[in-house]
Amino acid sequence: MIVAALLLSLAPPPASPAGSWRAVLDLAGGELRFALTVRPTGRAFRGSICNGRSCTLLSGIRVAGDTVVLEMQDYAATITSVLHGDSLTGVYHNVGNRGPRTIPFRASRGRWRIEPASAELLGSWDATFVTDGRASPRVLLFSNDSSGFIGGVITNTGDYGRFWGRAEADSFRLAHFDGSFVYMLTGRLDGDTLRGVFHAGRSTQTPFTAVRSTGRPHLASPTGMTSADTSAPFRFAFPGLDGRTVANTDPRFRGKVVLIDVFGTWCPTCHEAAPMLADLYRRYHGRGLEIVGLAYEVTGDTAVDAPLVRRFQMTHRVPYPLLLAGTSDVASAAATLPQLRGFTAFPTSIFLGRDGRVRLVYAGFLGAATGPQHDRQVAEFRATLERLLAEPAR
Amino acid sequence: MIRGILASLLTGISLTAAPGLVSQVPADLAAERAAFADWLAHSPVSPYAAVSAAPLDASGAGIDLGGRAARIVERNGAAWLEGAGPAHPLPRNRPTPVGGTTVLVTGDPPRTRVMLFQPGRSSASPAYYPFDPAVVFTGTLTPPATPGSERVLTPDGIEVEATFAGTVTVPLGTTTTLRVLRLPDPASEESSLEIYFRDRTSGAGSYPAGRFVTLAPIGGGRYRIDFNRARNPFCAYSSVYPCPVPWRGNLIGAPVAAGERYQSHP
Repeated sequence: MIVAALLLSLAPPPASPAGSWRAVLDLAGGELRFALTVRPTGRAFRGSICNGRSCTLLSGIRVAGDTVVLEMQDYAATITSVLHGDSLTGVYHNVGNRGPRTIPFRASRGRWRIEPASAELLGSWDATFVTDGRASPRVLLFSNDSSGFIGGVITNTGDYGRFWGRAEADSFRLAHFDGSFVYMLTGRLDGDTLRGVFHAGRSTQTPFTAVRSTGRPHLASPTGMTSADTSAPFRFAFPGLDGRTVANTDPRFRGKVVLIDVFGTWCPTCHEAAPMLADLYRRYHGRGLEIVGLAYEVTGDTAVDAPLVRRFQMTHRVPYPLLLAGTSDVASAAATLPQLRGFTAFPTSIFLGRDGRVRLVYAGFLGAATGPQHDRQVAEFRATLERLLAEPAR
Repeated sequence: MIRGILASLLTGISLTAAPGLVSQVPADLAAERAAFADWLAHSPVSPYAAVSAAPLDASGAGIDLGGRAARIVERNGAAWLEGAGPAHPLPRNRPTPVGGTTVLVTGDPPRTRVMLFQPGRSSASPAYYPFDPAVVFTGTLTPPATPGSERVLTPDGIEVEATFAGTVTVPLGTTTTLRVLRLPDPASEESSLEIYFRDRTSGAGSYPAGRFVTLAPIGGGRYRIDFNRARNPFCAYSSVYPCPVPWRGNLIGAPVAAGERYQSHP
């Protein structure tokens, strides 16, 4: 019995996924690298996935024997893996209507090396993505920070979030994986031109070329894409998380400047925008600013959507009301806000003057990954609010 | 570079295999088939679970919620569920549970389609021809002379605007040039390069209307076309789905006894 007890005391403890992991999704175009961190919290685990310093919390981690399941509830996605020594091997799985959408996953213990890029790659690039002979513009922003080489990809309606990766001589590989979007940018500097491929999902590949930004506009203006009927006050009336309807005609909005945030909890860019909006609210509420978030969620079922919006509210400490406005497709949002024309993007910010009429519609949001362009957008939001708040109430 | 692409011709790759193992299914293909079989058996939107598909217009589509009638109607480009508590909009391209039924609103107005799914249907696994390494090809894609697009049905019967991606030439029977279309995924920014083809097994072992095979990028502008991965449109599993019309010109004058077979399903 003593021997048995001794043996038990010498037996290795059950393997734990806690720690830092060098994680990879194996795409058709090569490995997409990201960082996975798992922390023990009592008998359970919490974790996050990171692209450089930009991290997304996992909604849950389930461990049963040597099986480790990483859950991303907002995106109905999971990574199911088997823990064997210092490796995790498994599959990323996302919802699919035509069949399973799976991408092989693997990870080994440790942290990725910090590999900054040389000066030749850094800066702003005007890119042209080409699909079957059709071109569309993007702007690529490359820089270095304490995590290494980082980047952003800006479209006409926003950006794809923080990219992180590495450069070797004149070649580069940057990726963004947040549990929902699977993006990778690979390429090399060829003379004065970047030539590469944008990867989406496991196997969609779009070639691109890019030249140094000249300062001339390469993308459509975010304030020129969506317009609105300004002949009457902008109307909205949707239930809040407590079930009570909040409408533009409520006394709290009378004579106020109102910023309407059209968002969804499934939208990573909307998560990025939330802290800035909360800051604007705290900065300007005393001078007459109200902010309302209109949530367009996946199901349209309050029982499912309300907890997700409540979690969004708590995560970002949102101090303004969030309303359940509809479902997440563009057509649905456009249908519930019939005074908008050309609604295209989540998030969209609608600025109302003190008379309740639309003064500006800003499509998309440029996240922190876009560096100076993000800073410029924040400055534009503040300047717009300062201008509207300075106008007298009628 | 363009000239190099134009000069492309797909050539068969000579897969070497140990004697007696020629028909062994490679591990990655076996895993893909297992995942698909699992999805067929368990997904709430598996074609085995499909019970109806109806176009959605202003008059709406009826839905039976366990003896209680509800309706889905389209207003201002959005689909709304009425008669099941307060009216609320339904998402597009995302399965939504409503009572014991899963509702899937797909397609774009004015060709919106409402599909209803209920569990408890067949869970039969698809049947496949033996693995044939001789029908795995790699090569490049010859781009179309001019960009263009056409409306076609996806494997799950949704009408989409597909762009001309080019052609590939495969040494099957007499050399055959096949049209490749890029099918967008309406639920994401992704797309797939597809060939919808018929061959001498169509209606004689494989599905009569044809089968889809996907071009998989392998780097350097090259693709793999593996006819062992040829798969049936969803109308092969359920009469609820509309069947894609065979794509013009994509007739292979030889039997392609590889990939998915056709077996009638309950």
